[in-house]
Amino acid sequence: MTKPHGLLVAAASALLLSAFTMTVPLSAQTVLRLDEHAIGEIDPAKATDYADSMIFYNIYDTLVIPAAGGTDILPHLAESWTIDGQTYTFTLRDDVKFHSGNVMDSDDVAFSIERKMALGQGFSSLFAGVIDSVETPDARTVSITLTEPFAPFLGSLVRLAIVDKDAVLENLAEGDYGDLGDYGQAYLTSNTAGTGAYTISSHNPQELTVMEKNPDYFLGVPAEAPDTAELQYAIEPATLRALITRGELDIGDQWMAPEIKAAVSAEEGVSLGQVAGISSFYLKLNNQRPPLDDVHCRRAFAHAYDYDAILEQTQVTDEIAFGRRAYGPLPLGVLGSDENIPTGRFDLDAARSELEQCQYDPGDHEIQLNWVAGNPIQERIQLMMQLNLGELGFETTITTTPWAMFTELAATAERTPHVSPVNFILTTPDPDSMLYTMYHSNAVGTWASVDWVMNDEVDSLIEAGRTETDPETRAAIYRELGNMLVEDQVSIFAYELVGVFPIRDVVHVPALQEEGKTYSVQGMNFMLREMTMN
Amino acid sequence: MNLWRYFLGRLLGSLLVLIGVSILVFGIARLIPGDPARIALGPMASAEQVELMRERLRLNEPVVVQYGEFVKDLLRGDLGISLYTKRPVTSDILSTLPATFELVLASALIMTLIGVPLGIVAARYRHSGVDRAANLAALLGVVTPSFVWEIFLMLVFAFALDIFPIAGRVSRGAELPPMVTGLLIVDSAIAGMWSTFFDAVRHIVLPAIALAMGGLGTAARLTRANMSEVYDRQYIQLARAFSYTEREISFKYALRPAMVPTLTILGLDFAIMLGNAFLVEMVFAWPGMARYGVEVIIRKDLNGIVGTVLVISAFFLIINMIIDIVVAYMNPRIRYQDQ
Repeated sequence: MTKPHGLLVAAASALLLSAFTMTVPLSAQTVLRLDEHAIGEIDPAKATDYADSMIFYNIYDTLVIPAAGGTDILPHLAESWTIDGQTYTFTLRDDVKFHSGNVMDSDDVAFSIERKMALGQGFSSLFAGVIDSVETPDARTVSITLTEPFAPFLGSLVRLAIVDKDAVLENLAEGDYGDLGDYGQAYLTSNTAGTGAYTISSHNPQELTVMEKNPDYFLGVPAEAPDTAELQYAIEPATLRALITRGELDIGDQWMAPEIKAAVSAEEGVSLGQVAGISSFYLKLNNQRPPLDDVHCRRAFAHAYDYDAILEQTQVTDEIAFGRRAYGPLPLGVLGSDENIPTGRFDLDAARSELEQCQYDPGDHEIQLNWVAGNPIQERIQLMMQLNLGELGFETTITTTPWAMFTELAATAERTPHVSPVNFILTTPDPDSMLYTMYHSNAVGTWASVDWVMNDEVDSLIEAGRTETDPETRAAIYRELGNMLVEDQVSIFAYELVGVFPIRDVVHVPALQEEGKTYSVQGMNFMLREMTMN
Repeated sequence: MNLWRYFLGRLLGSLLVLIGVSILVFGIARLIPGDPARIALGPMASAEQVELMRERLRLNEPVVVQYGEFVKDLLRGDLGISLYTKRPVTSDILSTLPATFELVLASALIMTLIGVPLGIVAARYRHSGVDRAANLAALLGVVTPSFVWEIFLMLVFAFALDIFPIAGRVSRGAELPPMVTGLLIVDSAIAGMWSTFFDAVRHIVLPAIALAMGGLGTAARLTRANMSEVYDRQYIQLARAFSYTEREISFKYALRPAMVPTLTILGLDFAIMLGNAFLVEMVFAWPGMARYGVEVIIRKDLNGIVGTVLVISAFFLIINMIIDIVVAYMNPRIRYQDQ
């Protein structure tokens, strides 16, 4: 009686063991697996974050596209355009089809603009108050008239995805937009209506988005590009490291801790790719709150920041760092950026001499140094600032706030901390998207503008940059503005951020691994059609 | 009949608690700092756009009016749109809850099937080497935080030995069964898709063990303590005097009374795991609801917060109700006392 029972158990165990050790067969197609920290939004009218942008530039197209490694704007869905005063007239390509098979025409462009503005989300703010009217004289022509001259308009168009009007109208649900129901929001939350090189085969915004090649893409998709891409979300750094090491993830995200990137890059078959020139890191000084409403105190703070020591901390490996020296507010390579703009200098003696000219004594005010929870380097920086400001006689407190709390504090100058670290990434290739959002008086009250710069001269230059259409003159305006912001020390321009991504050698990503191939828009460097898989 | 009335009383009580929780969480969610409209729209949105979004979310209405509208929508099964995922909260929860439920269920099974026998053995062989070993194992389970177990299990069984996968519910490319219960293991078994079934089991082993370890230790220690107390009772000594076997004494006479307090605590542990699964879900990239719950709080996604808390509360209450009924069934004195 015992023996057969034992045999049965042994047989079952063997069966289970073999079942547990077998693996699910993989398909012969090339599959690229990558991750991003935040979840992905696929409705192009709502997309803003990094992950959203990574998806956006693969499943949708825009009228124009920035040049890789430069600031020029190139034709894309629009094959050409003319500018007559405030009217931009685009001639569309005639060989573009949506994923549904519908042919793209001017009606789709007009509908895409109307939908974006009606929903009022995502990057619609780039066009709010800017577009006066849209006309479609024929199927291949779109005329957009602006309310006033707005030079960043062409650059802003890289955030206007063209959606399939017919597909959206066929899938309206109940909603707040009259005959247009929900304006296709429910549909576009889990389906694509684009022309992009990839389509979406499944999408769970919290877990995974799977994209497949679009065989009918108007520019064609090279055979070497990944057949399928799996974008995973919110994986813990320790797990990411294990996944890359085990060959289960091909491109890691840039938010991984430097130690983890260094460790994985030491593995065989893993290297580090970089994206520079699209983002910067600032220590924002609250220009409205004493003692930082005095420029001399602000300059003293800027001299108390140890630029070299912090840059050393950004070193991932001997060759690669996630920070490089900043020259004013704009990352190098952006229109109007300039290596001749003075860079910051750590000098406590210079800080003391600035303090002598400041109307406040260091002991007059307790300084609040804030950092946002979950950003360990921000804590290290504020500890360094606490130490150095202490040398100058300032009493300081370091506070940690969750993100939601920080956005609340940023709403009023009185509650905004004296010093707040902020990362800012270009949302369009145009410097206006960075400078207006951070430094114009009309943009105060958000986390990006916690310096509370309310300076008429700054406003005038930002506005001049918006209305001037000649690129050389615009660049000169932004150089002048950069110098002014540094002279007035509105922020501490800590360092330019470099995105560092672990990449397995099964894939080659030109935008991350080759000089001069980077796009100056977040997420665009992950255009799958430009990648090659071994 | 008595048990039925007991059940109805518990059901009514649970409904009242759920209403109370909904009012509480609805208010508390609005006290979290930050303007949800501004957080959702980002720094580039103009003040007008933020205001428009606030109106759409009814944030400018008095909280009482907002709550009234929320209840009306809730009765239609609509928990609103999540500002975090931009999808209906109901869809978000329905797409993530089964994964968490499956994980918690597997953990509860491990907790019960290993923890309780461990306690029984320890109680049966009190003060022996077996007891001390079981106690040590239980203590390790209780005092070691789940994230330590997660990293330890991942390092040993996924990294060094490479026996188990480390992320997700199932391998990429695996064929998925038609959804019946939402529990991947159950659904693949129903569909007879054994390759997917074993793949899903392999994926759940490490996260389930990591999540179960704390409760497993508690279960073992509680069972041991309660069984030891029962073993000291006179009727057990009488049973021994009548030459009942130790197995009969353990399972027939000692376990049932000893299980009443253990069951209550296990039930609570089971429900608490639903909320505590967050860390495990993060580390093992498990696509569950706990992770969603934390993200919606960070982003002040009001609808997401209220929806998640309500679901977890409902789950907590249901489990408690089931445990109360089981306990009342096992110990008739409880249901009579309550009347």
